Amino acid sequence: MSASGFLRFPAPLTRRCMVPWGLRLREMPALLSPGTAVTPAQMAGRKDRPALLSLDESELEEQFVKGHGPGGQATNKTSNCVVLKHIPSGLVVKCHQTRSVDQNRKLARKILQEKVDVFYNGENSLVYKDKREAEKKKQERKKRAKETLEKKKRLKELWESSKSVQGERSADSD
Amino acid sequence: MECWGRMLRAFLSGPGRRGGAWGSAYSSWRPHRPVPGLLNATELVSHWTAIFEKEGIPEAQESSEYIVAHVLGAKTFQSLRPVLWTQPLTPWQLQCIQELSSCRLQRMPVQYILGEWDFRGLSLKMAPPVFIPRPETEELVEWVLEEVAQRPRAVGAQGGPLILEVGCGSGAISLSLLSQLPQSQVIAVDKGEASICLTRENAQRLRLQDRIWIVPFDVTLEGSWAHLLSWGPMDLVVSNPPYVFHQDMEQLAPEILSYEDLAALDGGEKGMDIITHILTLAPRLLKDSGSIFLEVDPRHPELVGGWLQSRPDLSLDLVAVRKDFCGRPRFLHIRRSGPQHGCPAHAWPGPQPARVPG
Repeated sequence: MSASGFLRFPAPLTRRCMVPWGLRLREMPALLSPGTAVTPAQMAGRKDRPALLSLDESELEEQFVKGHGPGGQATNKTSNCVVLKHIPSGLVVKCHQTRSVDQNRKLARKILQEKVDVFYNGENSLVYKDKREAEKKKQERKKRAKETLEKKKRLKELWESSKSVQGERSADSD
Repeated sequence: MECWGRMLRAFLSGPGRRGGAWGSAYSSWRPHRPVPGLLNATELVSHWTAIFEKEGIPEAQESSEYIVAHVLGAKTFQSLRPVLWTQPLTPWQLQCIQELSSCRLQRMPVQYILGEWDFRGLSLKMAPPVFIPRPETEELVEWVLEEVAQRPRAVGAQGGPLILEVGCGSGAISLSLLSQLPQSQVIAVDKGEASICLTRENAQRLRLQDRIWIVPFDVTLEGSWAHLLSWGPMDLVVSNPPYVFHQDMEQLAPEILSYEDLAALDGGEKGMDIITHILTLAPRLLKDSGSIFLEVDPRHPELVGGWLQSRPDLSLDLVAVRKDFCGRPRFLHIRRSGPQHGCPAHAWPGPQPARVPG
């Protein structure tokens, strides 16, 4: 029987930060954990909108479904689900998308990052902005396609009517 | 579908199979709950989970999910397109699941049943008895990559780093390093012929064969290392050596004892035999200030620290210990201090290293 139990990941991830997220935003550059390298491009973001804020590892709590075995070589487990919690917001992401713990951890962070963005920024979040932009582009494409279709229709009508006019004239001239 | 080859091997070793009809009674296997008809993926997972649980198979649900997902062409159940969860399966798919599941009933590890497994996102072929890469070992590779990134290296004619992996098994460590370090080259050694073959095959599957040399080699044999010198001094030695304490071997799960190469696990009396051989050999092969990264048993940091102190002739320092994702001390970083004394330990601040006393 699978004796799976949650095993909490130790410090530093489980260090609880009681400082509100709002405060953290101002201090953000200094708080990024050494593991997450942020390039200047990421920080600057695109010209039209800020980049998605990276998660602070000290505000995350990570759990793995792990048996009570010795681990390492002595165990061969395939359960590699990662449960990641963002403490300040209480948001939780569960990821079992890949067969690799390492990949699941990275994916969980990415998904959580977006959820946190939506949670705090709502309508102004990157996720929502991207959605609106995509929807807008879609509507524009539809509109253009419709206009092109109508133009073609008008041209066709024009062509047809000019043909019938010519036909009448030739009939008249007979 | 690769399951047929596996079935053949399973049938040769397991109970004989009579007839091919779905639900026919196997000679030594009583049929379980009757399968009512066409089932979908979700129902099939429940069905097999219940059977595995009844038979005391560990990770009943995970095993069932991986098998069903695999037959439906996905790596994990969660990554299956949701529409596939509720579609009825074809008789052929049901048959495949049946046969893979019967292997699981024989306690075959899921990775051998599927014939493949992922390591840091790379898909690798798995074949018994070659050691199956463990999830902890992904962090060993992560650590090596972090250290390589931090260290500015003198750009030689061939880029670098040049890495030696001892005990390559399926090639997991070597191939992940190669795929993340485009300038690197690896010499991968193993004493098992099956490992040599499998690493070669995986290297080819991943198109990394041009930067890896795979060499049969037993690190415990005196003097066998001389020919490794011809590749030149190395930047790094990496290994997940056999490190299980001999007295703990018999407590390993049947999945491991019956299917994996025990020589890939048994580290001798204190699990130190292969480790000490690697550490004895490394200074002869490493550049000055070259590094050794090892995965070990949680009791080893202290044992290795003590052993290195008893061998000052090796000029090796234990510079850092890193914990795995379960919080157990699992990885060691040992550095060779060359004739010009290497940097002091605190000059290399890596994420979460624990200082080893003394």
